[in-house]
Amino acid sequence: MEFLAQVGHYGLFTGRVAKRIVLGRFPFQALLRHLYTLIVRCMLPVVAVVFPFGMVIALQGLSIFSWFGAERLLASLASVAIIRELSPVLASVLVAAQGGSATAAELGAMRIKEELDATEVMGVDSISEHVAPRVLAMTLACPVLNLFGTVSGILGAFVTAVFIKDENAGVFIAQLWAFTSTGDLLASAVKTTVFGMIIGTTAAYLGFHAAGGAAGVGRAVNNTVVVSVLFFITANYFLTSALFGHIG
Amino acid sequence: MIALEHVSKSFGNQVVLDDVSLSFPMGQTTAIIGPSGTGKSVLLKHIVGLLRPDSGRVMVLGTDMATAKEDALFSVRRRLGMLFQDGALFGSMSVGENIAFPLEHHRGDLTAAERAERVDEVLEQVELPGFANREVSELSGGQRKRVGLARAIVTRPEVVLFDEPNSGLDPLTSDSIDALIGQMKEALGITFIVISHDIVGTLNVADCVGMLYGGKLIAYGPTQEILKNPHPVLRRFLQRNVALPDTPNSNPHLPQALKEHS
Amino acid sequence: MNALFTLGRFGWFCADFLRATTRRPPPIARSIEEAWRIGVRSLPILFIIACFVGTNLALQGYMAFEPLGGQHLVGMFVGLAGIRELAPIIAASMVAAKAGTEMASQVAVMRIQEEVDALEVMGVNPHWYLVTPRLLGILLVLTALTLISMVAMVGSAAAVAVYQLGLNGQHFTEMVASTMTMAEIGYGVLKSLLFGTIICLVSCYCGYYSKPGPEGVGSATNSAVVCAAVTCVMLNYLVSEMVYG
Repeated sequence: MEFLAQVGHYGLFTGRVAKRIVLGRFPFQALLRHLYTLIVRCMLPVVAVVFPFGMVIALQGLSIFSWFGAERLLASLASVAIIRELSPVLASVLVAAQGGSATAAELGAMRIKEELDATEVMGVDSISEHVAPRVLAMTLACPVLNLFGTVSGILGAFVTAVFIKDENAGVFIAQLWAFTSTGDLLASAVKTTVFGMIIGTTAAYLGFHAAGGAAGVGRAVNNTVVVSVLFFITANYFLTSALFGHIG
Repeated sequence: MIALEHVSKSFGNQVVLDDVSLSFPMGQTTAIIGPSGTGKSVLLKHIVGLLRPDSGRVMVLGTDMATAKEDALFSVRRRLGMLFQDGALFGSMSVGENIAFPLEHHRGDLTAAERAERVDEVLEQVELPGFANREVSELSGGQRKRVGLARAIVTRPEVVLFDEPNSGLDPLTSDSIDALIGQMKEALGITFIVISHDIVGTLNVADCVGMLYGGKLIAYGPTQEILKNPHPVLRRFLQRNVALPDTPNSNPHLPQALKEHS
Repeated sequence: MNALFTLGRFGWFCADFLRATTRRPPPIARSIEEAWRIGVRSLPILFIIACFVGTNLALQGYMAFEPLGGQHLVGMFVGLAGIRELAPIIAASMVAAKAGTEMASQVAVMRIQEEVDALEVMGVNPHWYLVTPRLLGILLVLTALTLISMVAMVGSAAAVAVYQLGLNGQHFTEMVASTMTMAEIGYGVLKSLLFGTIICLVSCYCGYYSKPGPEGVGSATNSAVVCAAVTCVMLNYLVSEMVYG
């Protein structure tokens, strides 16, 4: 029961945020500032995680393909796996861990230090002022970071295949071009936009409703990572089925 | 006119305000005292509309905050100022930006220069001239409160509310905040509402005092009368805190000697 | 400079922890309590996430191999990718997200409330007191969590393969089974234990040196999960390279 009430509460909150974003009732400069901070903050973790994962894909992919003497197909596997799944999911996990938790921490601290109440008392809507730009920034930053993740993941696969395993660079690149489709890239962008929305609203909801001092902020931050990852991994299954839905 | 009419509020099964009625006289300073955890902050949050009562009415400047729609709520709040316990300054902004925040949102008619002038003016009033470019993190506790006070009065509100103006401060800083409140009352003619458990400071600045205990208003009246009020809880609370003499001075404020005692 | 300082301090933190641990027997009861708490808290989310990763592994494996006419390889792909790589890293990252952040914020709150100083004043080595039970707890529980996520992943992949993709169930199971050797499973578990150690040390370190105030707790928690995840993924590559390279 309490869980349902929470979900309903979250829905209402998201509706209030969405209304302000759609009506454009939020400080535009703050949006740019948050967007910039998010991208700068998350860039390194995203690249640092997706790049080694690309390397692992190449390593394991080669070990499978080598049984069939089909090593030249590696680039196709790497491209499809990284663009469609790995980069969107990993980049979003890192955005949740770095950006989402930072958003929850900021809003949580503002709640505890009564800055949100102060905003309201000064006759300014705290959701327009503090929440809406953060949620929108997260929604926009996620696909951008995914793009960086995709590139670094493929680069990782390329490095392992060509420099460590001595595969032919020309074949890798040719296969990459042949198997990378605009559709996949678009689908990847759509996915991460949805993920960004999920992370942004979850982080904002939990931070905005933080209670109980510094420990309460810690709790909000913990829950943000876990709950938003849970939500978007679930969404991922349905999105994958729908976007690449010529199967099943 | 600010008045609470039969206001009750509970959180879960804990009753925090139990049928509280009182009205705050305009142009004067009213203090609500009481031990911590008796709903003083909750009462304050009802006046600014951050909380809504379970029953009763909260009339603030002609609007019932208990039922007001969001727009009405915001237009009342523009006429109020509030100093939060720890200042509630935005950590992401400088002191000047913090103070200019309400002006930017409500006084689009002012130019940037006029706003800066207003900011300097209130910084002067709280005795922190030249602090506009400081970062919030550089400020001491007392300075934070003063900047919070500057932000509360920069829009020239009709009513200013104080949430524990003396908590967490050493006696000297605490006195200087009280002195500031006193000065501003003289100079600006604003209605002040103070909640506090610091009796000395409160009695120094307040014209009227109310005491909350267990969610009920057990005593309310002009400061002099409150000092003579025989209610046992009130007596105990006052004596514990200020070593009250049996017959208070005819002066509504406590004698200077008492202040130095604490 | 800053990075060097942090690295040095982290090294000192680990060294002091090791020294303290060898001098004093570990608090067994508290370790088991920690293990139970970490396990109970992380299990539901880990299970759900492992299931959805499994489903997508099957979907994407099918999409990658189908144009090449290799649908029958999906089972092997799921087995290899799931057991070798994904199950350990997912178990570890969920434990990092759930238990690691919790450790960081608990320790940070203790630091802010001067409980850490109080420990020191009472003559208890705070590294031993704070880190040992958490480390033992995480190691105890991560083995089980990794095995569970392997099962969840393969199970959900099989469900998608059979019911959504229409593959032959028996054939799929055989292909998965062919990859599930004891060596592979043991390797996956060992890897997750390595990750667990890192998560615990990094999280406790971040909490231990938290800055004051609610922002301090927030940013300690935040950097704990990010640093732990990044370190784990990088190590993962090195280990994979050593074993399969």
